[in-house]
Amino acid sequence: MLMSQNVRYTIRSVIFLLIGLVFITPLLWMVSTSLKFENQVFERPFVFIHWGQINWDNYRQILTETAFPAWLWNSVFVVLISVVLRLLLSALGGYAFGFLKFRYSDTIFFFFLMTMFIPYQLTLLPQFISFRFIGLLDTHWALIIPNIVDILSIFLMRQFFLSFPKELVHAAYMEGSGIFRSFIKVALPLARTPLLTLGLLSFFMIWDQYYQPLIFLHSKEMYTIPIGLQSFQTQFGKQYALQMALACLAIIPVLGVFLALQKQFIESIVSSGLKG
Amino acid sequence: MATILKNMPERKLSRAYSLERLERRAGLMFALPVIVGFLLFVLIPMICVFLLSLYKVDLMSNTFEFKRFEYYDKMLHDPDFWKSVRNTLYYMVIYVPLTLALGLGMALILNTKMRARGLVRTFFIIPYITTYVATLVVWNVFLHPTEGPVNSLLVSLGIANPPQYMVDTDWALPMLALIGAWKDVGYHCILFLAALQGVSKDYYEASSIDGAGRFQRFKHITFPLISPTSFFLLLITIIGGLQAFYQMALLTKGGPAFSTTTMTYHIYRSAFEYYNFSYASAVGMFLFLLTLVLIAINWFGQKKWVFYQ
Repeated sequence: MLMSQNVRYTIRSVIFLLIGLVFITPLLWMVSTSLKFENQVFERPFVFIHWGQINWDNYRQILTETAFPAWLWNSVFVVLISVVLRLLLSALGGYAFGFLKFRYSDTIFFFFLMTMFIPYQLTLLPQFISFRFIGLLDTHWALIIPNIVDILSIFLMRQFFLSFPKELVHAAYMEGSGIFRSFIKVALPLARTPLLTLGLLSFFMIWDQYYQPLIFLHSKEMYTIPIGLQSFQTQFGKQYALQMALACLAIIPVLGVFLALQKQFIESIVSSGLKG
Repeated sequence: MATILKNMPERKLSRAYSLERLERRAGLMFALPVIVGFLLFVLIPMICVFLLSLYKVDLMSNTFEFKRFEYYDKMLHDPDFWKSVRNTLYYMVIYVPLTLALGLGMALILNTKMRARGLVRTFFIIPYITTYVATLVVWNVFLHPTEGPVNSLLVSLGIANPPQYMVDTDWALPMLALIGAWKDVGYHCILFLAALQGVSKDYYEASSIDGAGRFQRFKHITFPLISPTSFFLLLITIIGGLQAFYQMALLTKGGPAFSTTTMTYHIYRSAFEYYNFSYASAVGMFLFLLTLVLIAINWFGQKKWVFYQ
């Protein structure tokens, strides 16, 4: 009895593992193809990896002969600046709306929340016109600026500061700190976890952005990874192994961050999702 | 300020009161960057976009000409617009239920006793976290009608005319919805799983005494208890479905024969291919209105099935 239950348990686990593998088949195929020569891409019968004749040249070619390193740098630059500025504003805003409060702060915040349903495709139209007017088109600031104020991020920081213990801050006042100093010395260090959570979520979201660079950028040397990938697809339409290697390289940074911080990431989705 | 202080009774000017006053003033200062940002990037653009839909804009000479509701009129008489509305709704009809059902199914799998749960969970989340454009580049080759691995498998299994996916007007939009669901379902899975894990075991024990079957248990216990999460995810999925854009831009460019031109792609094409910002703004306003209507319907409909403990 005990044995058969154990066997059933194992069989079930194997089936679920297979379901999981089927789910990511396209990505497994991507890895497999990126290590092949072009003439092996659609070979029959299908071989997952040709051990002994793995073609690393696709990767070498992308890293040395394409603009990929530049796109990577652009992406890192845009994402880092956006995330840092977003965290800064969200921390300040969350502290103001959740802890300090001021006249009409709750009304104003409710109004903020109502605008979360506005489709981005809509606000982007006047943004394009105004960026064009002030000459921000084709700069990285056109990608960064719309990311700085994010209502969901302010909402999450506000949630955190709503239940922030008043005694801690008041103790800092007693020691002679002003409001700003107590914010820096007491509130911010304790908000490390929600800030990390928010930074992580923002990193994944902004890394993925494709619509903004599609519209705001036109010189190739300014491209971020998503738009670079697309331009590559049109340019090297038939070189599939090369495309797959590029897709792999585009995924590696986010996958690396995800695998390293998987636990925090899942917790961050749960906490931001359920309370949102 | 001075007169207000003068009229205040003496005891109200205690230390606590003035501290609160200081905090309020500081609060405004702290919130100022956010408020200014909100005005600049949300509120003013929103007003602008409405004005934009009323004016004829010439981007070359930067001239504006008042046209009243002409663009809305044009939109409502444009068969392409109605096709894009139809395509968006068609996309939603597949994407929304599929994403919710798959997400719940995957969460139920992860909620059972099994080995290697962490690994399976990672597999389920990977599409959600990977760069979307990169996965679309992969799908593009994966579903290649003649050479792609899916169709070569189907052919080798003896299917003579496998589907043509992105180049077939009947298949393209459902495939895009499927890819959208594949991409987003990891998020739903995580949230459903968290909700399932929050269901107390006591309920199940009580029901097993009553002799309820597995399906009965799910229907009468699990489903009502996770309904707040389901409702939240339903709203998220509706908003996400209405704004789907990446697959159309990367895989089909709205084609073949307009079959995947959703409202978002229609806006993009009108604004950035035909430079008709006014018309695009009118369509955008309609999309916003549609979003609000769908959210409102569900908001009032939730009383029927959402159960708050």
